[in-house]
Amino acid sequence: MNAPDRYERFVVPEGTKKVSYERDTKIINAASFTIEREDHTVGNILRMQLHRDPNVLFAGYKLPHPLQYKIIIRIHTASQSSPMQAYNQAINDLDKELDNLKSAFEAELAKHSSGY
Amino acid sequence: MEGMSYARTPRVKIRELKDDYAKFELRDTDASIANALRRVMIAEVPTIAIDLVEIEVNSSVLNDEFIAHRLGLIPLTSERAMAMRFSRDCDACDGDGQCEFCSVEFHLRAKCISDQTLDVTSKDLYSPDHTVVPVDFSDPSGEESSEQRGIIIVKLRRGQELRLRAIARKGIGKDHAKWSPAATVTFMYEPDIHINEDLMETLTLEEKRTWVESSPTRVFDIDANTHQVLVVDPEAYTYDDEVIKKAEAMGKPGLVEISAKQDSFIFTVESTGAIKASQLVLNAIEILKQKLDAVRLSEDTVEADDQFGELGAHMRGG
Ligand SMILES: [Zn+2]
Repeated sequence: MNAPDRYERFVVPEGTKKVSYERDTKIINAASFTIEREDHTVGNILRMQLHRDPNVLFAGYKLPHPLQYKIIIRIHTASQSSPMQAYNQAINDLDKELDNLKSAFEAELAKHSSGY
Repeated sequence: MEGMSYARTPRVKIRELKDDYAKFELRDTDASIANALRRVMIAEVPTIAIDLVEIEVNSSVLNDEFIAHRLGLIPLTSERAMAMRFSRDCDACDGDGQCEFCSVEFHLRAKCISDQTLDVTSKDLYSPDHTVVPVDFSDPSGEESSEQRGIIIVKLRRGQELRLRAIARKGIGKDHAKWSPAATVTFMYEPDIHINEDLMETLTLEEKRTWVESSPTRVFDIDANTHQVLVVDPEAYTYDDEVIKKAEAMGKPGLVEISAKQDSFIFTVESTGAIKASQLVLNAIEILKQKLDAVRLSEDTVEADDQFGELGAHMRGG
C-alpha cells in the first residue's frame, strides 16, 4: 500500500530543478550534473557522446538506485574546455545526429511508400 | 572551439515495411543510440488508452475491475497522441470529463436477449471522435475470421448486461504497459563472418558437413558443385559460438572468425496497431530530441556558475 505513484518516475516534482550542476571542490574542470526523472536512455547516449569529445578526460553516468528517479553524470575535461561546455556540446551534437537520423529515415520511407 | 561538432550522420536502409511491422538497418552510429531508440519506442512514445471506467450496469461473470483492466489493454488508434495533452498537464479541464485536448469518451451498451452467447468486443465501444477508435485487425482482403469481430471483452448469457462509460487518455509505456505502442522492438549487431579458406580446404567433405551442421541456425552451407563452405545467412547467427567450439574440437582453431560490427544494427519493430511502425520510429526520434532539450542547462544555472567561476578565479589569482 506504500508503493510510490507511477507518475513519480517521469514527472519532475514542483520546485525541483530538472538539471542541477555541482563543481568538484578538489579537481578543476570536473563537475557532476544531476538530472531528475531520467534514466539509462539519456544517461548512456550522453556518456557515449562525451567520450567522442577529445577534450573530455572522463565521462560517466550512474543511476544511484532504481527507486531514486534520477541520474548523475560526471565530467572531467582538459583545461581548454569545461564540463559545462562539454555537456552542452554533447547535447547539441546528439540533437544534430537525431536530425540527421530523422532525414535519413524519412528519405528511405519516401522510397518505400512510392512503391505501393 | 566554437562551431566544432562531433555529430554523426547515421545511414538507414529499410528492408521491409508494413503498417504494423518494419525491419531496417541502422549504420554509422553506436549501441547507445540504437538502445535509446529501442527504449523510447517501448516506454516513451505516447498512445491513447482507456484509463477511467464508470460502470453503470454489470451483470456479467467478470467483475468491474476485471473489465476495466481489459478495456485499458485494447489498442486505440493514436495518430493524434503526439499532439494531444497529458491530462495532468491540461489546464482546460479537471482531467475527468470530455475535454477535447486530453481525453476521448467511449460508451458501451450490450445486453444478451437470446439463448445464443453474446460476445462483447472492442467493436461495441462507441465514441463521437472517429480519429480514436479500437484498432481494426481485420484482414483487408475481406476473409471472414474471428478477428473480424474485434477483441472480446466479455461474453454474456441470456439476461446479462454491460453498460459503461470510459475515458481514454494520452499516456506512455513507462506509466503503464497498456500505453506502449510497441509489441516488440529489437535490434541485433550485424555479424562479420570470415572463413579461413585455406584451413577449410584441409577438411574432408564429411568434416565440412558436420561442422556446418554444428550451427543451431542455418548460417553456413556447402556448395553442391565446388564443395566450398559458404556463408548463406550471416544474420541467422545468434552469437552462440557453437561453430567456433566445434572447430576447436575438430583441432582446427581459427577456422572461422566471427565478430559483431560495432556501428551496424538490424532493427525489428512490431507495433500494436496504435500507430504505424514507421511512425513509431519517427515519433521515437522526436521524443528523444524533446528529452535532450529538457536536459539542457537552464540560464540561471549557467549564470550562477559564471559568478562562482569568477570568484574562484579571483581567489586562485590572489
Ligand atoms: Zn483536458
